[in-house]
Amino acid sequence: MARWRSSAWIVATAVGAGGLAVLPLFGNDYLVGVGLTVLMWIALTQSWCVLSKMTGYISLGHVVFYGLGAYLVVVTWQQVPLALAIVGAGVLAAAFAALVGLPVLRVRGPYFVILSFGVSELVKFSIMAAESAGGTASRILFGAPDLGAIYFAMFALAVAATLLLMGVSRSRFGHGLRSLRENEEAAETLGVPVVRYKLLAFVLSAAIPGMVGAVMALRSTYFVVGQVFDPMISVTAIAMALLGGGDDTRGPILGTLFLFIVSEVLWIRAPLAYMLILGAVLAGFVLVAPGGILGLLDSRRARGASGA
Amino acid sequence: MNDADSAPLLEVRDLGKRFGGLTALSGVSFSVAAGETVGIMGANGAGKTTLFSLIAGNARPSAGTIAFAGGRIDGLSPDRICRLGIARTFQIVKPFPGLTVLENLRTAAMFGRAGLRDRREADAAAMAVLEEVGMAALASAPAATLTLAGQKRLEVARAIATGARLVLLDEVMAGLTATEVAQMLDTLRRVRDARRLTLIVIEHVMQALMKLCARIVVLHHGERIAEGTPEAIGNDPRVLSVYFGTAA
Repeated sequence: MARWRSSAWIVATAVGAGGLAVLPLFGNDYLVGVGLTVLMWIALTQSWCVLSKMTGYISLGHVVFYGLGAYLVVVTWQQVPLALAIVGAGVLAAAFAALVGLPVLRVRGPYFVILSFGVSELVKFSIMAAESAGGTASRILFGAPDLGAIYFAMFALAVAATLLLMGVSRSRFGHGLRSLRENEEAAETLGVPVVRYKLLAFVLSAAIPGMVGAVMALRSTYFVVGQVFDPMISVTAIAMALLGGGDDTRGPILGTLFLFIVSEVLWIRAPLAYMLILGAVLAGFVLVAPGGILGLLDSRRARGASGA
Repeated sequence: MNDADSAPLLEVRDLGKRFGGLTALSGVSFSVAAGETVGIMGANGAGKTTLFSLIAGNARPSAGTIAFAGGRIDGLSPDRICRLGIARTFQIVKPFPGLTVLENLRTAAMFGRAGLRDRREADAAAMAVLEEVGMAALASAPAATLTLAGQKRLEVARAIATGARLVLLDEVMAGLTATEVAQMLDTLRRVRDARRLTLIVIEHVMQALMKLCARIVVLHHGERIAEGTPEAIGNDPRVLSVYFGTAA
């Protein structure tokens, strides 16, 4: 039964990924844009899970990596090759995580949540100050690549983020992270190098969001600091991860699709009550199904098994 | 080089720990030979658990040295000390509640001195420990669902699964029924002999301590006030005065 379900899952993922891969060849710009957004959220949410689902350190500031990546592409625009700038955005985000990780990961629970939020806001306002000191309110990118190229870059990032979480989740490293999530002092006493592992998870979870930010800067072609460091980006990725549930790659995909579809439908059908209904759906999930969609599926399966 | 036969496995010298103005431990010295089982006795607040925290690296000593298998370990991080071969249990149990019993032990087998990086090997070693401590049937149960006795047993099993040479047992029998204490004693003796472990045991259950240990160290207000065989400790006037308040 479990094997059947997991192979059904693999087939569904393969079909979905294959469909997304060829979408720009058949779809119109609207559909490609929708696909791009879905891929972006999958990449961000999978990356967020590498740190927060695996270790329990809930980052409320992951947008800082996205924003730094976008900023790097914008300030190096037409001065370095674009591919290099995108890779550089990932390196910059990872390096920033390595720099702030050691002090920031010393605090746990709500303190880490607040601190991660504070760090991202600090970076946002620092860059705002730097930009306005330089006399720029916003920037426009001329000559950005077309939508198809942007789409394929994002597709690659979504696949990479999914493979990263899959690799981490199944590895010895991942087991160490889960152990420290469950009880950090016990994990450390049993030989898990918790300081090094937490930092590595933080760095790994930062790199892809940096590149996603870089690619999305090309999509919007104009740059406003407040927009690429918008805390809603962090919050949305968290909501998608929690809606999906679990700590493997299925949760972020299910959560992303669910939240994306529900918000699109609501936005079209009920533009005025859209945010109200979405809020109620999210609150309902937290109250009724804290394990997310995967948690619901698992409990249904467990009931089915005990009933049989 | 050290003579492995004569040098003690663990040597604690002039160990001290202050928390702000409070002195939890001061000037404590003792050594433990390989294969020995040593008991630590003392009233609440005597510094027993602090002693374990210093040896296992969960806290840093304010003074003194700790040597294990010939090398200094004081000031090392807990994970390094574990990989060197010292494991401890926690008096207030610290299971990984969301993981299964087997997964709890997998962490120990993968990351401890055993260092079994391959998951299958780690799980096989973990399963062997579970059989030894009589928990094999609970392998796939979430740790959160265990009874207190089960969680105490899990603490012991996890410590053993690290592949440690020296295991520090912190009140693994406290709160258990008489039957459960007898079972735990039996398990400890069996596993110790099979794996040739060296044990340091903190226990309030005096009879258990007497049955398990050849030597007992008594702490009082952070200082070592007596050391000897269980019989000698039972007749020591300082110990009696501390425990019963007699003017000896």
